[in-house]
Amino acid sequence: MAEEKEMVNIYIMGKHYQVPYGLTIMKATEYAGYRFIRGCGCRGGFCGACGTVYRKPGDFRLKVGLACQTVVEDGMYLTQIPFYPANKATYDLEELTPTLGTLLQHYPETTRCLGCNACTRICPQELEVMHYIAAAQRGDIEKLANMSFDCIMCGLCASRCPAEIVQYNVAILGRRLYGRHIAPRAGHLAKRVEEIKAGKFDAEINRLMQVNKAELQKLYDARDIEP
Amino acid sequence: MRIPYFPGCTLYARARGLDNSTRAALAALGIELAELPQWTCCGTVFPLAQDNYIGMVAAARILANAAKAGDGRLVTVCSFCYHVLKRVNYAVKNNQEAKEKLNNYLEANYAGETRIIHPLELIRDEVGLASLQSKAGGKLRGLKAACYYGCMLVRPAAELAFGDPDDPTIMEEMVGALGGEPVDFSWKTKCCGSYQLLNASDLVVERVRDILSAAAARGAQAIVTSCPLCQFNLDWVQEKFAPKTNGFSKIPVLYFTQLLGAALELPADNLGLDQHYVDPRPLLSGGCS
Amino acid sequence: MATDFSFQISKEISGRIREISGQNPHLCMQCGTCSASCTGIGKMDFLPRQVIRKIQLGDPGVLQCRSIWVCTACLTCTARCPRGIDIARLMEALRTINLRKGNEILVLEKIPLDLIKEIPQMALTSGFRKLSS
Repeated sequence: MAEEKEMVNIYIMGKHYQVPYGLTIMKATEYAGYRFIRGCGCRGGFCGACGTVYRKPGDFRLKVGLACQTVVEDGMYLTQIPFYPANKATYDLEELTPTLGTLLQHYPETTRCLGCNACTRICPQELEVMHYIAAAQRGDIEKLANMSFDCIMCGLCASRCPAEIVQYNVAILGRRLYGRHIAPRAGHLAKRVEEIKAGKFDAEINRLMQVNKAELQKLYDARDIEP
Repeated sequence: MRIPYFPGCTLYARARGLDNSTRAALAALGIELAELPQWTCCGTVFPLAQDNYIGMVAAARILANAAKAGDGRLVTVCSFCYHVLKRVNYAVKNNQEAKEKLNNYLEANYAGETRIIHPLELIRDEVGLASLQSKAGGKLRGLKAACYYGCMLVRPAAELAFGDPDDPTIMEEMVGALGGEPVDFSWKTKCCGSYQLLNASDLVVERVRDILSAAAARGAQAIVTSCPLCQFNLDWVQEKFAPKTNGFSKIPVLYFTQLLGAALELPADNLGLDQHYVDPRPLLSGGCS
Repeated sequence: MATDFSFQISKEISGRIREISGQNPHLCMQCGTCSASCTGIGKMDFLPRQVIRKIQLGDPGVLQCRSIWVCTACLTCTARCPRGIDIARLMEALRTINLRKGNEILVLEKIPLDLIKEIPQMALTSGFRKLSS
């Protein structure tokens, strides 16, 4: 009996499975016999490939998590949404100017936002998606970039949007415009590039290329690590 | 005095001059506008379908958040924002179903307690026209200005309460106090064609021509407005048809806050006077000190 | 013999227009004040007064009028109607019935990119809300 207590009931795409307590949704799905070909990437919560929606009995609210990070709970009805069709603009970043006009020319549908907040409610990264779209609507590219910084592009926001906006594509355009055209250039980076070009590290690199594997391992273990 | 302020999306980009001049002019009159910490688009249009509550959600959220600021007031200057916020607020206050549906959706408890205030009302009621006159009276040196309200500021009168819906005078009172000469013209609450720019742009061209001709016939040297879409339509569209129309001379279209700022002798950089299609600067440098 | 269902159809449409608008079109006495005040009249196929007459008669063709799409929702008709009808709400009901079926007049892809770059955002938002689904 003790063993049974350690199992939980979950429903994957409507089919009932018993899986061990403590597994992530992804591992539980594999335990149930599925094999991931798509909808699985880094298994570390960064790549955004395994967005999952679920509900629990008696709760009308739709819940969300990354399959590789979220632990199964008893009674979960779940399905992964590894991909959602999205409108994606193509552009040459070098030719763009960081303006509202650029955002709207590529994604005019941004102005269709109804302010329903469904995107923010579903975001597994707990980003304030509606508010970064509001920033996009008013042409505040810096705010758009900063507020969407942790976006993993899982696509769940776009799946919920009644205005059919693809929030994460608007956001990455914002971050690209910010990074390329607005953010101040890093002084120390420019200085280091100059140093590299001037050959300051050539001798060191050449020496490393000559050492054997064991020596390289030793050097690696003893390297400086930023705190 | 510090009052919560909702700028609106367009004031962050196309109508930056309206935002800057509003903040600067009111600051010069002792009123500091405190922008709400987080806000979205108000929705721009009030949903006229009785069962369209989703169209009110954004405005209701903005109002509920503004109520948390604890001041009881919210200033907004864009005519569309003013219209939508005031009407949604009216709906929450007077329509039980709207109140319940919006609060349920937003998981809020808002009862319509926020008062939506237009800067023109602040200038009249808080600053006072006499005080304005003593600060900047005569500065406009008889500049003939046609005050253009358009539709969103004044209708429906029962909900917006912005004066007589056919003949509002609040903007004229301000212009008069600054020493300008408001010209009376019958098109001041006519619509410029609004968003039909996207669908029936020739309609907008016709309406703009009517409005500008009527103002010009009364000798107006400038049009004054509070709406970024009216401003754009009147300004941009005349650039398009002016070359093709014999005997038509272009008229600058200003925000009332730009005129106010100029009369208060605020630095021109703050007023966004360089952002218009028909340049108003020659007129202002000649017409007021 | 074919049964004529047009009466039922028109009754259903009239009912839906009343429900969405909250207005009673039968109050209209056809005075034409709305038409005389209308911003969009130059581009309309039927005068606002005629649109209301069509609603009164239960003519399903009222949903296909061009007039409903060139209305600017400026509310002048509403302000001036001597019978107190909120005519702008009737126009919106006709648009709403169309939009909920996916019949939109403003198609995003057809808006020139140069125009999008120039115009205030509020024009796009309001246009989409009134004229597209």
